[in-house]
Amino acid sequence: MEPADELSNDQASLELSADPMRLNMGPSHPAMHGTIRMVIDLDGETLVNLDVQPGYLHRGFEKSCERGTWAQVFPYVDRLNYVSPMLNNVGWALAVEKLLGIEVPERCQYYRVILGELARVADHFTCNGASAMELGAFTPFLWLLKVRDWVWDILERETGARMTHSFGRIGGMAAPPTATFKDDVLRLIPEVHKVVKETEIMLLRNRIFLDRMQGVGVLTKEQALSYGVTGPMARSTGIPYDVRKDHPYLVYDRFDFDVPVGEDGDNWDRFMVRLEEIRQSVRIIEQAIEQMPDDGPINVDDPRIVYPAKDDVYTTIEATIAHFKLVMEGLRTPKGEVYSFIEGGNGELGFHIVSDGSGTPYRVRVRPPCWYGLAASREMLLGGMIADIIPTFGSVNMIGGECDR
Amino acid sequence: MPKFVLDGKEISFELGETVMEAAWREGIEIPHYCWHPGLSIAANCRMCLVHVESGRQMAMPQLAFDEDKGEYVPASKPKLQPACQLAAVDEMVVSSTNDEVKAAQASVQEFLLLNHPVDCPICDQAGECKLQDYYYEHQGTMKRKLTEPVHKPKGVRFGPTIVYDAERCIMCTRCIRVCDEVAKDHVLDMRERGNKNEIVLAPGRELDHKYTLMTEHVCPVGALTSQDFRFKARVWFLKSGQGVCTGCATGCNTHVDYDPRYGKVYRLRPRDNADVNQFWMCDDGMMTYARQDTDRTLMPTAGRGDERTPVGEGEALDLAAAKLKAVDASKLAVVLSAQHTTEDNLALAKLAASVGADRLYLAALGGWEGDDILRSDDNNPNRAGATQAAGGATLKSVGDLLADVQSGAVQGVLALGWATAEKLEELAPLVALDGVVSLTSHVGALPASASVVIPVADTFEIHGSFVNGKGLTQAFGPTLSPPGGIEPAWKTIAELAGKLGKDLGIKDFQELSQGLADAVEAAQ
Repeated sequence: MEPADELSNDQASLELSADPMRLNMGPSHPAMHGTIRMVIDLDGETLVNLDVQPGYLHRGFEKSCERGTWAQVFPYVDRLNYVSPMLNNVGWALAVEKLLGIEVPERCQYYRVILGELARVADHFTCNGASAMELGAFTPFLWLLKVRDWVWDILERETGARMTHSFGRIGGMAAPPTATFKDDVLRLIPEVHKVVKETEIMLLRNRIFLDRMQGVGVLTKEQALSYGVTGPMARSTGIPYDVRKDHPYLVYDRFDFDVPVGEDGDNWDRFMVRLEEIRQSVRIIEQAIEQMPDDGPINVDDPRIVYPAKDDVYTTIEATIAHFKLVMEGLRTPKGEVYSFIEGGNGELGFHIVSDGSGTPYRVRVRPPCWYGLAASREMLLGGMIADIIPTFGSVNMIGGECDR
Repeated sequence: MPKFVLDGKEISFELGETVMEAAWREGIEIPHYCWHPGLSIAANCRMCLVHVESGRQMAMPQLAFDEDKGEYVPASKPKLQPACQLAAVDEMVVSSTNDEVKAAQASVQEFLLLNHPVDCPICDQAGECKLQDYYYEHQGTMKRKLTEPVHKPKGVRFGPTIVYDAERCIMCTRCIRVCDEVAKDHVLDMRERGNKNEIVLAPGRELDHKYTLMTEHVCPVGALTSQDFRFKARVWFLKSGQGVCTGCATGCNTHVDYDPRYGKVYRLRPRDNADVNQFWMCDDGMMTYARQDTDRTLMPTAGRGDERTPVGEGEALDLAAAKLKAVDASKLAVVLSAQHTTEDNLALAKLAASVGADRLYLAALGGWEGDDILRSDDNNPNRAGATQAAGGATLKSVGDLLADVQSGAVQGVLALGWATAEKLEELAPLVALDGVVSLTSHVGALPASASVVIPVADTFEIHGSFVNGKGLTQAFGPTLSPPGGIEPAWKTIAELAGKLGKDLGIKDFQELSQGLADAVEAAQ
């Protein structure tokens, strides 16, 4: 190799170019939270332009729903926001139940609330833990994921699966709560409080963490509203919108809980809102455990909606026929369309479903909450530093499964 | 026209029509088991009970459970009437969905399932069973009876085609009425009452008339099953095409039920056509589906007897063209087929005209036992169409062809189809000729006598039309794709013409079909 000073005497070629440098981040990048691509124009380290390109995890979820029965959609919704699949299960069940005009028994409503809030806790653990890890704080990440695993242990005991539960059923749940369900959850609660506290001790007075989070990735209230952002992201800007409070479903109107809001809409506020929401979820869980009846039916009493018991299927013709019809043709819904929405991990998770009166959805449209945050993320990142993409985009919590469907 | 109101919808009717009939004509189904549009009224299943809300109300006493008192107290309910037997009256108001009717439907349905065996998983009717459909639509409750169900004979052989299961039977008597009214043979009847009620054969008889499969066709449940279809397929895997029966010159309209996974036809069902077959088909016609995958000719061959060997597709056409060219056009016989579509025959007639061969013959099956119900004496679906394709001239028979070959007037043959009345031995004069080319979908005496055989598609696999014995043209489309490399006969004929240096001017089926329609119009 030639010595450097002999390569060229042309001074101009040694200068950094004044033109912006174009870089690709993703779609397969370890810090990009799933398969997403950003095309960024850099002036030094400053982002002068960027283009966020989703769609790399598109699987045709909505179209797939049109080929099976209503009940066969559950495994698909598991794979929307796969960090809190139970919330999606509950959301889908509620949507079809709204179409049918039925309401599940009270015990099931509490069960759904508790399982859903556990999923939300797991979701926020994951998001906040990853945010910390990406800024170099590996310990809180491990601590949070340790407790998230315990949350998953409970979900696994209840549903049989840690992530893809497919546990929701139209008109109920796949199985009643196990005998130790309440005790398991109550035993977990102190651990959740403990790990949240530990996380706070580790992070909230850490200069590096503060500098990377405060005032970075700011989303204003106006921007949040104009992009249709909901959930923790919207609340971090000061919009106190929470579906559980504003349009209560299941039995949420019976619980005493707060909706935490931020002021600045920066990474810090999003982080803090999620941490506080974990505490509020635990409050809801505690009250729900208190109020949930210990016995009573979990499923609605209609063999045209819920599978009859197996021993009946094997011994009586009525149950055999009901089972046959539900499996082969699917439960029949009335013609029409509904929009049903719940508070998902990232905000308002909506299902707009259209029925032609058959056993198969005619059209399913999902309102994926993180989609709107993703749309807003360009404005949040523009003008910032390239390194800030990681914490900011992390706190947007884009989940490919849900966003790209 | 007089009108009545059913569930808020005005329905016009002709005097003498029942509520059920008028609604059925409008495409509204009032739930029913025993009523069938082609049969007499029995009104025994009670599923079609409706409430006539207009006029003087009749009340029936009943005992109703009083929650407060905890006991049954006298009450009354409106007298419901079977829609199948209720003559429609001008300005009558009928409900088939009000609470009283719903309660009646649920009760009738529960009653019918009271002793029904848990057979759906092994029952051929599952998936198209009215008990299943109406359970889901009108009952939706679990079993209340705790005692052992009544047991009755199962798997009773009614005849060569039908198996009867008395436990599944709901005693609607449709099968009895089909035998009485369609087949005109009172071979089935009912014996005993209540729990012992069952359908039985006339003493010393079997269910062996020509319309036995219609008993299975009208059975709304799985009580009667077809020996042939039994345990062969599950109906939810089947798809349905529309066809015309190839059994005889009646041309009954069919639903062709096939499994798309295997490309195999499993059964035919009659397709309603008031001008042709009403709601029915005969057994032999129903069984013509089996031709789709039995005795098919799948490969071009050359040579005869033991020397017959497979040849390539193009090679076969070249060989056929060479053999036909070797014969003087005036001594070339072209044999149309009464089993093939008019379009196939038209293409062949065009080929004959283009090479200047004017000796046209018709190969056809020799007839079967007809009746004055549906079956025509002529068991060829398209004799009239083949004649039409040849320009209306009376076509000579295969017998005439044999005579012409023996006299030396014919020295080469181009034949369409497999169907002849003659057996192979009788076709010996053809075997003696060198140039006998057969275009066929199936094996048969005619292809067996040929020196070159080229396979073509079967009726289930093509667009085409038949002209039935009454001169009615009925078009149909393909249900399945032909086996690999095989094409519709008209296309193969056009290719063969190309090898002979003639252009028949047939680009696609539409054009061929339009040409036929124009020719028929011009002839009239």
